[in-house]
Amino acid sequence: MTPDPTLPGGGPLPVLRFLGLVLMGSAIGGVAALAAAGFVRGVLWLNELLLISPRSRMMFPRAELLVLATIAVPTLGGLIVGHLHRHIPEGRPHTPADAIAAVQTRRGRLPARAGGISAVSALISLGAGASVGQYGPLVHLGATLGSLGARLMRLGRSEDNITIACGVAAAIATAFNAPLAGIIFAHEVVLRHYALRAFAPIAAAAIVGHVIATQALAQGALFHVADTVVPQAWEFGLFIAIGGVGALVAGGYMHAILGVGRLAARLPLRPSLRPALAGAMLGTLALWVPDILGMGQETLRFATIPGAFGGGELLLVLVLKIAATALCLGMGFSGGVFSPALVIGTLFGALCGTLVASLTGAPQESFIFYAVCGMVAVTAPVIGAPLTSLLIVFELTGNYALTTAALASVTLASPIAAQLFGRSLFDIQLHGRGLDLSSGRGRALLMDTPVTDYLTQDCVTLSPKASLDEAIATLARERHSEAYLVDERGRYHGCVTLAELEAARQEAGTHRDIRACVETGRPTLCPGSTLWEAMALLEEVTGEALAVIDQGVFRGVVYEVHIAHAYLHQSDALRREEHGNG
Amino acid sequence: MASRLVAGRLIAALLLGLAAWGSAALAEPLRVLSWGGAYERAQREALFAPFTEQTGQEVEVHQYDGGLDALRRAGEAPWDVIDMTRSQALAACRKGLLQPLPRDLPAPAPDGTPAERDFLPGAIGDCALTHSLFATVVAYRTDAFPGERPTRIADLFDQQRFPGPRALQRTPAVNLEWALLSYGVPREELYRLLSTPRGLRLALDRLSELEETHWWEAGDESPRLLAEGEVVMASGYNGRFFDAAVNQGADIEILWDAQVQEHETWAIPRHARHPEAARAFIRFATSTERLAELARHIPYGPARRSASVRVSTHPASGVDMRLHIPTHPLNAERAIEKDETWYARTLTRMDDYFTAWMEEREAPARDAAEEESNPVATP
Repeated sequence: MTPDPTLPGGGPLPVLRFLGLVLMGSAIGGVAALAAAGFVRGVLWLNELLLISPRSRMMFPRAELLVLATIAVPTLGGLIVGHLHRHIPEGRPHTPADAIAAVQTRRGRLPARAGGISAVSALISLGAGASVGQYGPLVHLGATLGSLGARLMRLGRSEDNITIACGVAAAIATAFNAPLAGIIFAHEVVLRHYALRAFAPIAAAAIVGHVIATQALAQGALFHVADTVVPQAWEFGLFIAIGGVGALVAGGYMHAILGVGRLAARLPLRPSLRPALAGAMLGTLALWVPDILGMGQETLRFATIPGAFGGGELLLVLVLKIAATALCLGMGFSGGVFSPALVIGTLFGALCGTLVASLTGAPQESFIFYAVCGMVAVTAPVIGAPLTSLLIVFELTGNYALTTAALASVTLASPIAAQLFGRSLFDIQLHGRGLDLSSGRGRALLMDTPVTDYLTQDCVTLSPKASLDEAIATLARERHSEAYLVDERGRYHGCVTLAELEAARQEAGTHRDIRACVETGRPTLCPGSTLWEAMALLEEVTGEALAVIDQGVFRGVVYEVHIAHAYLHQSDALRREEHGNG
Repeated sequence: MASRLVAGRLIAALLLGLAAWGSAALAEPLRVLSWGGAYERAQREALFAPFTEQTGQEVEVHQYDGGLDALRRAGEAPWDVIDMTRSQALAACRKGLLQPLPRDLPAPAPDGTPAERDFLPGAIGDCALTHSLFATVVAYRTDAFPGERPTRIADLFDQQRFPGPRALQRTPAVNLEWALLSYGVPREELYRLLSTPRGLRLALDRLSELEETHWWEAGDESPRLLAEGEVVMASGYNGRFFDAAVNQGADIEILWDAQVQEHETWAIPRHARHPEAARAFIRFATSTERLAELARHIPYGPARRSASVRVSTHPASGVDMRLHIPTHPLNAERAIEKDETWYARTLTRMDDYFTAWMEEREAPARDAAEEESNPVATP
């Protein structure tokens, strides 16, 4: 009996292939989780060794040497990091934005070498106390390992994208010990679509990551919340408002990072030395405000305790933490944006809580709610992941009341920030590099495909000096309706159509110059043009093909029908990837 | 040259012979250094006497007088086995005064669970093997708070719900931990947070909020203050509180939340005369059965899980000892493990902070007292 082709589902072979992919996902999950656990431990170990962690600083007996170390360690760390980045082709560390770009353009194939160097430089940055996050490097490390796995198993691009997402999910599941957040993050930030075909391997990876985290890492929760009271009904209104203002804080934070990056580019200092300068400045500032050093887990904790900071102090540390992170990331340290955003957001929430308490005189029983709302309001817009932020709160605290408060906050935070600034810092950075993800994956794909992929010389070219008769005869012989005028030096002089030429012959006889028949307003493409631009041009032009001109020189043409085919082909691939079952 | 080599071999052979004679002959008693008092009595009944009975090896108990300086002197050590706290053992081990212990020294549990999984984390050290844990805890008078009883360490600082004077040890240790914990920080982060100026300030602020604190120094003061009703809550050693409650009938109860545990270990000095017999003794004394028996005599928590759940009744009073030992799962759930490395490096600085805070706290109180006494002095 043959299977009914109208029924969904296939034979046993696709099922086996799908199971293989799930198995692959869990294997990648295991490797990525071990790498993530090793990375987290490595950072802690370096922080103890290099006198960055408060515990090691307190245990160190010599105060004057401690001052020296506070400045020297980030500076030397910056020096090493700057040197390492010279070995990456782009001269900058790779971040989750690169993984997102690889998946959104279906390119896959994350470079292992650049990924490895970025991970090492992030380890050194974090170990030396730079004010950067650890989750970004973990995500990119997981993605790189996933992509590497797909290449080793000789899988296709579509599978490559799934294994990238698997690595990402496992890294998050391990680092936060939050498997659900890992799965959602991979979908929300990296894949940006939901397909059952991708879900199963990603879930398998996240579970393996979670198991390894509980076994191998055995770390305390990132934040721990004792039994809380239930906030008053009116406070939920405040939580929503905190979300709105938090979006602005997030915007300020993102633009500070980008702004320092632009300023740094203008500095008369070699790029490889910039992180060292940032390290020296950070270390000096940390002598007065040690809270800005490193990931700031202690600061995060204190920000959830009412009375640990005064109101003015909260504002000061908030501003300095934004400045320190912008300095470190903008000047080229390698690291993520999430951990500092956690600290900044929590400080912001604590500031709101302190303000409310001083205005209403109410006891600060629901202080932790304000801190968590602020945290979510800043982190969700920065990484473009409201659901992930909520799930992290939920999985880390297991507290439903706290999660609903965070939900209230994120309701306004994410959309406002997306309207004002962009979907996430990654998207803003990619936009700066010429990849616009704001209209989804279909457009990103077209924008990422150069027209040169479809370039052909199989067309009729004519000398501008050719006669009308000659031109018409050539076109008729070649069975084309358009010809391109190219002189002996290869320069392009325009496009003529058979219809125009024929009309000219009817009107003025054969002695007319064919250059008079050149179609005005026919746009051309350059070798850097993308399929997306070509599609846009086609809306205004009807013709056979578009010429590709490189600084005046004719390179060939791209046929309209090829552009349409490419578009259909990519749409079809996306549809299969996003709506296929297996 | 050759003659020297021969002489060396002769001496080596002689030494080997001596060693063999020493371990086999049991002619000399095994010299154990311990802490004396009720503790030593319990060890005699639960460990030393049964060991002699089983192996024929006599045990001679020495008591601490003036620390472990004798270990530093050249030549043979005056003891074969030493009962010491883990922090002492860590320091002595670093200085090379102790013998490394083989990893397979502790016996597996009766059900076959390997020792590494049966002992509590951190119990099996390079030179010392934890046998029991004692705890610094808070105890309270049961008659002081009718209706509600303290359940969390934060209640120590809550004089609104639990009014009355407190007694605390005049040291930074334990007090700082409890004060910071009362803000609801997780135990895992305690020492990291106490390492920041902000954490220290928060902890001292909490201690400052307490009205009427008696600061005790000797271990027997706090049970006495409680028993006499001078204070309603006090910190102290769990063994002392047990003694006051069970043996002397004081009306006090232990709050196990945030108990701070410390390890008591067995160790062998580098130049012990009978290391073989010492190891045999340690293996015997740390068996599940012996540890459970020891905890019947004195409320010290066995370092192995299999022993903690086997602990039964106090021989003299018939009290269920499981409720009184720090490592029983019911009591140990929210225990703090003291970060001994942290204290080893920061103790002087912590002492300085604490003393400065004490002086600052006592100065205004003294001024106020002087002002008050003046009008009384005038007729």
